[in-house]
Amino acid sequence: MTEKKCTELMEKISSGIEGFDDITCGGLPRGRTTLLMGGPGSGKTVLALQMLVGASRHHGTPGIFVAFEENARRVSANGKTFGWNMCALEKEQIHFIDACLRPDVVKAGAFDLTGLLAGLEAKAVEMGAKLIVFDAIDVLLTLLNDPAAECRELYRLHEWLVHQKLTGVITMKIEEGQVAVSPRYGFMPFMADCTVLLSQRVADRVAVRAMRVLKYRGSPHVLNEVPFVIGSAGVEVGSSSGVHPEPQPFNEKVSTGIERLDAMLCGGIYRGTNVLITGSSGAGKSSLAGAFIEAACLRNERALFISFDENSRDIVRDLATMSIDLGPHLESGHLRMEALRTEAGSSEEHFTRIKRLIEEQLPRCVAIDPLSALAQVGGGLAARGVAERLIYLCRNKGITVLFTSLLEGIDPHLETTTLHVSTISDSWIQISFALLGGERNRALSIIKSRGSMHSNQLRELIFSDSGITLADPYTAGGEVLMGTLRMEKESAVHMDLGNGK
Amino acid sequence: MSDTLKAGDQPKGAYLFRLYLAGGAPNSVRAFANLYAICQKHFPGSHRIEVIDVLKEPIRALEQAILVTPTMIKVSPLPEQFIIGDLSEEEEVLRALGLPQKEK
Repeated sequence: MTEKKCTELMEKISSGIEGFDDITCGGLPRGRTTLLMGGPGSGKTVLALQMLVGASRHHGTPGIFVAFEENARRVSANGKTFGWNMCALEKEQIHFIDACLRPDVVKAGAFDLTGLLAGLEAKAVEMGAKLIVFDAIDVLLTLLNDPAAECRELYRLHEWLVHQKLTGVITMKIEEGQVAVSPRYGFMPFMADCTVLLSQRVADRVAVRAMRVLKYRGSPHVLNEVPFVIGSAGVEVGSSSGVHPEPQPFNEKVSTGIERLDAMLCGGIYRGTNVLITGSSGAGKSSLAGAFIEAACLRNERALFISFDENSRDIVRDLATMSIDLGPHLESGHLRMEALRTEAGSSEEHFTRIKRLIEEQLPRCVAIDPLSALAQVGGGLAARGVAERLIYLCRNKGITVLFTSLLEGIDPHLETTTLHVSTISDSWIQISFALLGGERNRALSIIKSRGSMHSNQLRELIFSDSGITLADPYTAGGEVLMGTLRMEKESAVHMDLGNGK
Repeated sequence: MSDTLKAGDQPKGAYLFRLYLAGGAPNSVRAFANLYAICQKHFPGSHRIEVIDVLKEPIRALEQAILVTPTMIKVSPLPEQFIIGDLSEEEEVLRALGLPQKEK
């Protein structure tokens, strides 16, 4: 569905959150009501506030925030933690209204919302507000404590929004784990033109947030649940449906940092593509990542090295033993190394962090070691989605990316990865251990390299203090010789040459 | 400005009530009638009722955090007391004002 077609159907205002605009095909319905439902702590308030901030930032549209539950000052203070300039915004653009009833208030008879709406109407006219948030409407409904009155007041509110031509965002608490409001407020989702369900659940002991557009009157929308995180800059929605222009492919080849491997790949890998390196523990995946990053830095390209559960300094030290010196590049700022803790967050949160790092460092080459760490946290399916989006993100930015993936399982020869990223990777290099002649040697082979000729040979991968290289291929009896057997063959050939044969 | 309704003199310790109403809405009209009756009965000659129409003074109502109408505030004697609703539940009103309730 193209964006153009969506906007023809209904006038929308951008929420200021890219992923949210993606899943709603353009944002909030203008002049109508959007309902955000979710359990406690599902992110309703932050999302609603961010929409106000976004409307003000991107369109200069003033708005009003009516806080029924939390103290308005606290809501505003929370906004500051996301780096939003609440002080400046509050002066001109966003007006907060404390609508928490005093705890000592006594109820003695029938009442309605006319007072609040009259005040809001005057305020909206005064400041030219276009967007209005009613946060935690359920608190107000509880106060009414009468199903007929609750329904009546909600319709009053709805009618008022329509009449004022204001775009409304209403948040409402629902029971944890439920997908709908209680039958008592069952009419709410019908009244609203757009209803979004926010949820939070725990997968593999890691909290995972997700949102789903339940309905959007008069507009197409993404039906699937999409992950989101509340990061340092607020809500970020992990939508993969975004319509991005396809990047122009590069014809240029980029070195892997290992001369002979480049030769096997007919000059390296295409810029803007990705290469997957798989292998079991200790196979040398990180070293290949180091070589790739060093090569990028030596070409004077900016680079980013992201590692999971390993200190950057340790990596630099280990690589130095193979004459891969990343130190100077770190100092010059060409290289940034970031060590992430797998257990520190869900795969979606890691994605957000990596995305931010990429935006800050603006690298042309990125190494992620290992990408399979993502699969350990927050559910395999979610991690697979994240891995895919990471690949698309880099592809869209023309970044050449190398990621490693641990192969685990009963069968080490099973050529599959935990994240199933091998199918969307452009090149795939496998390092395995060859047990031959009483030795364990590293064997490298290229499983695929899209759009490029590549060698089909199995080669011995050699790590030494002078660097990483691949040994000359020697075969005997249909087997690739490695280690001592290869060296014997090599010296035999040299002797033969020396004897003039 | 607000319509100020004076009832009798204001001796020391007089009751001051501020009543926020929404024009001539039925519950607003009832609230005024109920408050007037309670005052006549319990504070004859020692009360004052200030009526504020939120439709005429919306910003003032907003600043005073008036969410619902009708809302009645007992301004004095202190402490302030907020009572919402049309004041038809007299017992609740009396209890909130700290007055002896009707015998059951």
